[in-house]
Amino acid sequence: MHHPTTNVLLIEDNLGDADLVRLRLVEGKFPVNVNCVNRLSDGLEFLARETPSVVLLDLNLPDSHGAETFRRVIDRAPNVPVVVLSGQDDEVLAMKAVHHGVQDYLIKGDISSRQLERAIRYAVERQALLHSLAITQKQQLEFKNRFLSHVSHELRTPLTCIHQFVTLLVDGLAGPLSPDQSDHLKTVLKSVNQLHAMIRDLLEATRAESGKMRIEPRCVALGELVQQTIAMMRPTASAKKIGLEIGVDQRLPLVHADPDRVLEVLINLVDNAIKFTATEGSVMVQASLVDADPGYVYISVSDTGRGIGPEAKALIFERLYQDPDSVDNNRSGLGLGLFICKEIVRLHEGRIWVTSELGHGSTFTFTLPTYSLAKLLAPVITYQDRLRQSFVLVKVELTPLSVPPRGNWKETWQQCLEILRRCVYLDKDLVLPPMETLGASETFFVVASTDMPRSGTMTTRVREQLERVVDLKAKCTLSITTVPVEVPVPIADASLAEQVQSVAACVTQLILTCREREQLAIASDNKLSS
Amino acid sequence: MPRPKILVVDDDSDLVRALRLRLRANNYEVTTASDGYAAIACAQREHPSLIILDLGLPVGDGFVVLDRLQNSDTLAGIPVIVLSARDPQTNEERALKAGATAFFQKPADNEELLNVIRASLGPGAAPPAAAAAWPS
Repeated sequence: MHHPTTNVLLIEDNLGDADLVRLRLVEGKFPVNVNCVNRLSDGLEFLARETPSVVLLDLNLPDSHGAETFRRVIDRAPNVPVVVLSGQDDEVLAMKAVHHGVQDYLIKGDISSRQLERAIRYAVERQALLHSLAITQKQQLEFKNRFLSHVSHELRTPLTCIHQFVTLLVDGLAGPLSPDQSDHLKTVLKSVNQLHAMIRDLLEATRAESGKMRIEPRCVALGELVQQTIAMMRPTASAKKIGLEIGVDQRLPLVHADPDRVLEVLINLVDNAIKFTATEGSVMVQASLVDADPGYVYISVSDTGRGIGPEAKALIFERLYQDPDSVDNNRSGLGLGLFICKEIVRLHEGRIWVTSELGHGSTFTFTLPTYSLAKLLAPVITYQDRLRQSFVLVKVELTPLSVPPRGNWKETWQQCLEILRRCVYLDKDLVLPPMETLGASETFFVVASTDMPRSGTMTTRVREQLERVVDLKAKCTLSITTVPVEVPVPIADASLAEQVQSVAACVTQLILTCREREQLAIASDNKLSS
Repeated sequence: MPRPKILVVDDDSDLVRALRLRLRANNYEVTTASDGYAAIACAQREHPSLIILDLGLPVGDGFVVLDRLQNSDTLAGIPVIVLSARDPQTNEERALKAGATAFFQKPADNEELLNVIRASLGPGAAPPAAAAAWPS
């Protein structure tokens, strides 16, 4: 039977030992080709260029010792079997090596050429088996995720049919209904909505697990999102006579986050809090900065519910974990909510955890990165005397002419943002990432360090460039407003960093005030038109 | 004044029946097609004011229809609302780029769907006769 040549990489610094090993190998029954190097670095370089069938490794080399040697080889070539040839009979080190993925640990001088050959052959076999196992596992995971996506897609069709016809009946479009009939159908509708939520969760969780969940971060004012959550959850809370309270720091900085996803997390947590709290309890949502961790905003949802025991606490963020005795047993869903929250928070580089004691309520806390205006402003404010210059805040707002907008609105505003970025000077101005949308408009802010004449020319230039976008006038209205930033006079010995912080804080406040005003305007517009 | 005509394109006959009832109750006239090619032919024949389009059609899928509509002089101005069971994360942007006005995932909220239909048909959706007022 023909055997293919085994390509051996021998990493051994002792020339005598190397010759012996080479001899043993050549004496064997099957053809071998031996490459020998004397330093680990040469061995690693070889592995970067070629893939041998096996690596024979001495652990004590001029440029590496002991466990570090095999660790570095395995890191470099995780799929190549490694057999350690050691001068010392060290049981502990041998076990460590095997745990780390080394296939065998042989004592030099203690092995015959038959044994060496067999050790190599079996090492190659085992590595191949491990590799195909890993591939199978990966395929199974992919299959499972594709299957779950497919299932959740297919379930939508019959669900849609049920939803459509039940709503037709409930809305009286097939004739009048008796109160009982209406009632029963509304009960069906509740279950339909539950099914819909489960299918959505299933798809989300599958996406999260296969790494396909995407977030689109913007500059977000958390206060707005918390208000939205409370408004949406109020009916559910009132039905159980549970009070909803908000405690959001007035001076909270903007966060860099995907507003839709963060809203999802907030709604999930508040919904859970309500579920696990008995009537006349209360739920509080707070958002604040923590001195010990200045780069993040801490958001917490606390309830006066039954609390969570230590065993449950360890499992609660896993998929499909459901507390066996939630207060409302028929609203438990699939148990994916907290898993999805964990993934969303992780994608934002935040953390999420729970503190709770049985009988004393629970508090779920998660963190989101602040949008560090100060850090981004620093390059724009590098000299002390720069701070004597004034700053202006320029607001560029694009409002689509029709709702829904015609054509590809996202492409249009992204194009405008690109143009805006190219209009400003990197060392004088800062373009913030897009804000969370209010109404249908996209808003971009620019902080420009300037004196008034220059800001005038910048505004003109921005307008000219934007107006050149093809068809822009047919798609939206453009509004550019400029507001001076009133920075308090710096104290005599305030450091540059402190002064940068002070400008950042002023700008943030201006932005938040501006958005509050816009929100009120939209709210009153809505009242007028309804 | 004639009622606006909506073309509903979907191969799910039950859903089409339910949609037709609901749209008629909201004072729209309804015509239907159950595959991509029939949809284009119907659009050319009947000049609907709006099209509700499923993506998973048996012959000539929704994207083919969107493409044909965009490339037709007479049909390109008709607003198209995609109503599909497919995942918006992988389909919404593509549909909007292909000319759709909006993307709804089934089952859609009836109120929201009707609002978007109204807005797409209403005066705000028509291209402005004169240039928009730019602040000076």
